[in-house]
Amino acid sequence: MKKPFHKHVIHHVKRAHRNVTKYLYERDTIFATIWVFLFIMILSFIPSMKFLNPVKLALKDFDFNDMAYAKLEKAEKSKFDVGDSGKIVIINIGLADREGLAMLLEKTASYEPKSIGLDVWMEEPREPEKDSILAAAIRKTPNLIIASRFKPGKGKEEAEYYHNYFTQFTGAEEGSVNFAHEELATIRLWNAYFKHQEVEYPSFALALIKKAYPDEYEKFRKKGKDKLIINYTRRTNQYQVINPDDLMMGRVDSSSIKGKIALLGYINLDPNNIEDKKFTPLNDKYYGKSVPDMNGIVVHANIVSMVLEHNYIKKLPSWFIWLFAILIGWLHMSLFIRYYLENHIWFHLVAKIAQLASAFFFVWLGVHLFDRYRIKLDMKLTLVVIVLAVDVIYFYEAWAVWMHKKFGYKTVFHHHHH
Amino acid sequence: MKKLIFIFCLFGAAIPSLSQDNSFLLYSFKGNVTVVENKIESAAKVGRILTSNATLKLPTGAVATLICNESAMFTITKKGSFALNQFGDSCMVKGGSVSSNYVKYVWAQMTKSSGSPGSNRKAFMNNVGAVTRSVNNIWIDPRLDTMNYVSGDFPLSWKSYAEAEDFEFFLYKSNDGSPAFYKTSVDKLKIPISKIAGQMSQGNTYYWTAAVKGEENEEIKTLNYVTKETYETLLKEIKAAVGAYESEAEQAYRIAFMLEDLHYLSQAYDHYVKAAKLAPTNPLYRSTLMSFKKDYEIK
Repeated sequence: MKKPFHKHVIHHVKRAHRNVTKYLYERDTIFATIWVFLFIMILSFIPSMKFLNPVKLALKDFDFNDMAYAKLEKAEKSKFDVGDSGKIVIINIGLADREGLAMLLEKTASYEPKSIGLDVWMEEPREPEKDSILAAAIRKTPNLIIASRFKPGKGKEEAEYYHNYFTQFTGAEEGSVNFAHEELATIRLWNAYFKHQEVEYPSFALALIKKAYPDEYEKFRKKGKDKLIINYTRRTNQYQVINPDDLMMGRVDSSSIKGKIALLGYINLDPNNIEDKKFTPLNDKYYGKSVPDMNGIVVHANIVSMVLEHNYIKKLPSWFIWLFAILIGWLHMSLFIRYYLENHIWFHLVAKIAQLASAFFFVWLGVHLFDRYRIKLDMKLTLVVIVLAVDVIYFYEAWAVWMHKKFGYKTVFHHHHH
Repeated sequence: MKKLIFIFCLFGAAIPSLSQDNSFLLYSFKGNVTVVENKIESAAKVGRILTSNATLKLPTGAVATLICNESAMFTITKKGSFALNQFGDSCMVKGGSVSSNYVKYVWAQMTKSSGSPGSNRKAFMNNVGAVTRSVNNIWIDPRLDTMNYVSGDFPLSWKSYAEAEDFEFFLYKSNDGSPAFYKTSVDKLKIPISKIAGQMSQGNTYYWTAAVKGEENEEIKTLNYVTKETYETLLKEIKAAVGAYESEAEQAYRIAFMLEDLHYLSQAYDHYVKAAKLAPTNPLYRSTLMSFKKDYEIK
């Protein structure tokens, strides 16, 4: 009589389970796994190798979750921040000078937005006449936040804060527009505020939220967090972007600005124009060389959206990532040792298939957790452990046999020849 | 009977959701776009919310981008009146879940070939590009910039974003803004170089552009009218570049590829044709020729 299908499945599952767990509690499996982590630690402690290691350099700014944006259309699943439910509107300032900015500012203010952010760094005076016009416009706009800059201190270096040139004689409120990240690196973190000489300086996004939604600001402050992973949810065209000509010629419906946070900044959708563009996880190319992809004002817009929608990313702690990598490495080591000792002819084939399947599964798991539950689980360490495990077995065999001969170390490898 | 009632209820519940009104938002527009809503026609405004009963009117050259139900974006580029209730299909959000997209992406990565210069010429072609600054109704493929022409009937083509029927072709002796020394009207989106060859003398560089009749286009492309001697010398070098044996068809294909890379497009075309004729059963030569003809609007 033919065996029912479910019994076949159960049989194969049991067999796979046996293959994985047969050597799971062997001392060799545990020690070989420990050796994998020792190797990782030893390699990471060789500082001089860093600049020679292209893999390390390439992975420095790499995050598997970026694939969700670049290739899996994660951002495209978000609703557009437009219409009645939209909370943000972006006014493109184009190449406007300070007089032009004053006109755009006044026009925007006439539509009664909740708050206005002017993402233009103005460090020093320029043409006196135009500066006066802009200063007057700033004075007339009490719900305006202008751009300042903050440079965090490094080591013994003092942190520095740079006020906007117009702050001193307009009394305008400021928010720092820059991000504390390495040059040319992907912008992932948001410093909600900076502390310098006991004074707290809010970021541009936080200052805007405080002005427009004081309740949301209080809620955010109660969380007590100052450094968060930015949850990018929208690309540039998923926000209502208004061109300066349309605004000045009255071709804009008042409902698209009224009661919203209006962000005035430079937008250029030409991918070859990289002026004021930053690298973000939404870049179409998530590895290797690429060009910056998002204007700074859209990064601020994403941060504001994240806070207003309470759409935060939860990063799992480092100890969990290590524990997860140890567990997965241990299971893989047990499977590899089983084939290494009992079916060596199949060892490399099984190991490669297991590595490939694990890479596929764990990257999916990371992306799925990130997309569905906004949980960020860094899979890099786990994948490195799986890759290293195969090579470490050879080293471990030699080490275990040597230990056996020298100190009588009990090992399953001492009779093994291949 | 219970089953029947259940099915009717299910349909009853489904019908309202199918006939649900879509809400549209006018995201951006260009030109004198108007909106007709409740029989009142008014000028379009960015950010205006429209019901599916509204009608959008676009004159020639106008463009309007709409967002349906805050989820799907689409653009209307044609002239005419468009009742928004006909765009129900555009409201559907495409694409599967992130997980299913992941499986598709991994599968595509595992199965797709990276290609080679011979089979995927565009991916490996060393084209000279140029920045584009102004926004106008005409787009000229950057591959037609810095073109080297010797002889033959090769078209200079462009694309029009406006629904225009008449265009003007301008030929300049310099790119310093001085007026065109030759201009002609055309009713197609291309002009054969042979038609303008009489205006040029070999060994000189010229500049050209095309515009919708009555408009201007600041985007100027370079055209080198190369002497036959220069070309013959180059051709000799290309022929001698490979020491190993190659059939006549293989040689023609290789020369065509190298000439295209060097922007001798007319001569490259002649050699692609030659390769396809010499080896009519070779699918690569045939597909490359078809692709080349499509790229450069050769009919």
